[in-house]
Amino acid sequence: MSREGFTGFTRGEARVSAARGVYFDRFGPFGKIARLPWSIILLIVGTGLVGTAMLFSVGWDPVSAAPSPDEANLWRDHITRLGVGFVLMIGLALLPLSVWSRFAFPAYAAVIILLVLVDFFGVMGGGAARWLKVGPIQIQPSEPAKLAVTMAVASFYQRMMPTNGQSPPLYVHGGALLLVLIPAALVFKQPNLSTALALTASGAMIIFFAGISMRYVLAAIALGLVYVPAIYTFVLEPYQRERVDTLIAGITGESTNGLGESYQIEQAKIAIGAGGFSGRGYLQGIQSQQEYVPEQHTDFILTIIAEEFGFIGAIALLSVFAFLFAWSFMVASKNRSWFGRLATVGATSTIAFFAIFNSGMVLGLLPVLGMPLPLISYGGTALITVMACFGLILSAHLHRDEKLSTRGLF
Amino acid sequence: MARRNSPEADFDRRLLLAAGAGTAVFATLVGRLSQLQLIESDRYTKLAAENHVRLVLAPPERGQILDRFARPLASQRQAGRVSVIPERLEDAEATLRQIAEHIDLPETRVKRVLEEISASRIRRSGFVPVTVVQELSYEEFARLRVRAVEMEGVDVQMASTRSYPRGRDFAHILGYVARASADDLTRLAEGRAPEDLETFEELFRHPDMRVGRQGMERFAEDWLRGRPGRRRVVTNAHGRPMEELEQDPTNAAVAGKDLYITIDSELQRVAIDRFEGESGAAVVLDIASGDVLAMVSTPAFDPNAFVNGISGKDYAELRDNSMSPLYPRAHGGVYPPGSTFKMVVATAALEAGVIDTKTRFTCHGRMWFGGRNWHCHKKGGHGSVDLHNGIKLSCDVYFYQVARLAGVDKIAEVARKFGFGEDWVLGMTGARGGLVPDRAWKRKARNEEWFEGETLNFGIGQGQLGVTPVQLALMTARIAAEGKHFKPRLIGFGPDVPEDGELDMPLDAEIMKLMKSGMFGVTSEPGGTAYRSGDLGLGGPRLAGKTGTAQVRNISAAERVSGVRTGDAIARELRDHALFVAYAPTDNPRYAISVVVEHGEGGSRTAAPVARDILAAAIKMDSGRTPAYSKRAATKTPDTDGKPEGDPV
Repeated sequence: MSREGFTGFTRGEARVSAARGVYFDRFGPFGKIARLPWSIILLIVGTGLVGTAMLFSVGWDPVSAAPSPDEANLWRDHITRLGVGFVLMIGLALLPLSVWSRFAFPAYAAVIILLVLVDFFGVMGGGAARWLKVGPIQIQPSEPAKLAVTMAVASFYQRMMPTNGQSPPLYVHGGALLLVLIPAALVFKQPNLSTALALTASGAMIIFFAGISMRYVLAAIALGLVYVPAIYTFVLEPYQRERVDTLIAGITGESTNGLGESYQIEQAKIAIGAGGFSGRGYLQGIQSQQEYVPEQHTDFILTIIAEEFGFIGAIALLSVFAFLFAWSFMVASKNRSWFGRLATVGATSTIAFFAIFNSGMVLGLLPVLGMPLPLISYGGTALITVMACFGLILSAHLHRDEKLSTRGLF
Repeated sequence: MARRNSPEADFDRRLLLAAGAGTAVFATLVGRLSQLQLIESDRYTKLAAENHVRLVLAPPERGQILDRFARPLASQRQAGRVSVIPERLEDAEATLRQIAEHIDLPETRVKRVLEEISASRIRRSGFVPVTVVQELSYEEFARLRVRAVEMEGVDVQMASTRSYPRGRDFAHILGYVARASADDLTRLAEGRAPEDLETFEELFRHPDMRVGRQGMERFAEDWLRGRPGRRRVVTNAHGRPMEELEQDPTNAAVAGKDLYITIDSELQRVAIDRFEGESGAAVVLDIASGDVLAMVSTPAFDPNAFVNGISGKDYAELRDNSMSPLYPRAHGGVYPPGSTFKMVVATAALEAGVIDTKTRFTCHGRMWFGGRNWHCHKKGGHGSVDLHNGIKLSCDVYFYQVARLAGVDKIAEVARKFGFGEDWVLGMTGARGGLVPDRAWKRKARNEEWFEGETLNFGIGQGQLGVTPVQLALMTARIAAEGKHFKPRLIGFGPDVPEDGELDMPLDAEIMKLMKSGMFGVTSEPGGTAYRSGDLGLGGPRLAGKTGTAQVRNISAAERVSGVRTGDAIARELRDHALFVAYAPTDNPRYAISVVVEHGEGGSRTAAPVARDILAAAIKMDSGRTPAYSKRAATKTPDTDGKPEGDPV
């Protein structure tokens, strides 16, 4: 059926949608909850539980055949955070898009203030100032920044989108770029290269989907390629350069034996390779259970999945991610507002960026940067951020028909 | 409305584009996964297996040291040991306090253990047990064993420890073992192939491993050590053992060999008791075989205190003790022999032909020579003295004359024939040779000519001359054996002692018979300086001997006049040493002995009774009977001679 000249639904779709709404409305305030896509939510939570199970395996002590007391907190923390994240995600999913959009700029402003505060009062950790300490609570503002920037840029386009059916003029894209680059620069300065990259990448995706001319897209890619050597030489820190060197050595087959950066990659490759087709079985990974892979509970958790569940398990996990991203794109496509569409692709890009970059890094295809595997890696703030991003996507799904104002910025 | 080029339509197209790019990324990841997990999986599986299997060093059991009759003197004992495993401790300090409720655990030790625990956490070696107390008493072990079940991370078990069941009795002979220090490693590493060194260091870092630090433990280190084995175990990335694999029997540790020494530990015990707390030394030799049957140096230290590391305070106490318990008097103590040396002087003069048995000198209690008076120990003098009476009465004037006639170089030559001046290592550490002075030595060492007066001093065993109790016993045995070839031994079955020679230079049997007759006179003829010591109290056999007094300092003229030279009138450390050498039985000599009682003042009064009782015990216990190792020693082949099987590492 041709959609020419029709922006809403076909009549069939409208009927189904209306009928469902009428049916669920009988459940009163719980009707909205009932209308959530529970199979998708199950998939998200299920993936998180895979993380819990793998963290249990990381903390397993094969000698005493019991959880090692030092590492028993790993899975417990993770499942607790998963619970908190779940409640948050459902809560956020129920918020109408208008609320999301209304709070976009205040959230953005708050995040910028926090990021500036971090640069001045931040708590040092791992050689970088990333944390703000308020009493007993530690906040890492670069994590909520991912969501806030997505919301702000999407909201900005929602307000600036021309009503005449044209693409937005170039200055609008310029403004959006500025909204992205300010927090990205602040995060980069901490320094936190991976989050700065994630912010820039998801921001760029939003600008791309907002309809910037393909000329500029291609020009940006070309420019990026030209500047790679310059970035390598002037922007990267020596340790980051070393990681890139290691990566190139690994891909071109030069010797990467020994300790240091290449040791981690080498041990990760051994763990993955030793998993083979069907894996060694849960709690049975010889490489993983004997702690040969550093950071296996955080960035390198994919290695224990690949070793204990093999090719099958790794492909299954990647497929689940691929499916969730594809579904999110469908959500974006079906949303009626620019805010809904762009916020969805922004949130999806953020999660996808981490999933792709993490797998690429663990598989030795990308340099080692601190990138957790969404939903699975140990680490509270990242998990909560990912769940919040899914909350936004679910909200965009639930409120796909909501009409938002396009009446300019103020 | 939404035309083909509308932003909405464009959005959907761009979604498809992004989905396409995502698919490409997905395909790349799947491709990489198939490469690693399907194509190269075998290679990585092999690498993973190699990562984990390690050959862990298994330390060998150290060989025992046994006495003549196979009584253990140094052995491996299973002792209760309590250790903590740092990675399993929640609160290390609280756990140590809990342990301290059940056993004696000094505060300093607690502090030390806590330091070790935090160090092991930094090294990520929290799985390596940290020893809290190396040796628990049986009661402590039993008590703690029951309690430890409730204490997480506390391990109470039996472990192999070096132990010296005879304690102080053999401290100076056996020495002790200790954890290897950097110096020990350097010393042991000498001459080893560089590829062995790593294993060697690994071996000595093992908590159960000890190295011989002193005495025979050090001398026979290679014999006793054995060869470490290798156990195949699966370890994790931090080296923590995870599981044992099937073991290759050829890789098992080979225990060190047992070492037999010639000493009769019962005789040793008797000898030590006989000193009754006095400081001194005694050496008993079997004249027929050359075996050392007893070798005493008192006071001594307890070598068990060194095995697990002696505290600085305890060590300082030993070091600064005025009785010097660390000092090995029997083989490392150098004394002037005093009158016990007179047989050597007489032998030299007889060999040189400057005197014979009938040569007489008259003693007036002193002799004028070189512008001063040379005194005899008997104020009134001995009158006319011949060789037999010279020895029996120990007449100094007689020996001044004899020494003058024989000359310093002849006396020195004969002294060396008797074994003076040479280190008798016998497989110990700390042996000293003393000094036999002569003209050449004086020119070289002092750049001075020899004075004739010094020869007189030499003639009565004073002056520069320095000898050890071991050398005195050798001299006595050689006299008793009438000059026959003689090879002293302390190691009955064990590595050879390349440093030691034999006493095989000819000594005239007739001259030796004269010496024996003189020594018999000393103990068994009226007027002999030790007349009452001749009877062994065994109702038959007698001993023959010679007394000696070693001056600790010169006697001043004033003291000589006043006669105050002994007793409580002067400080103990200034009193003379008492010496006695003897053999028994007189008709068919079997045992020779030398005794030094430090600051004992008179050889006949303090040293002779000690020697008599020890000799009597040796005869009564038949200490020289066939040793337990005689069969082994006979089958000792050149292959195993002196070296453990294979290289020790």
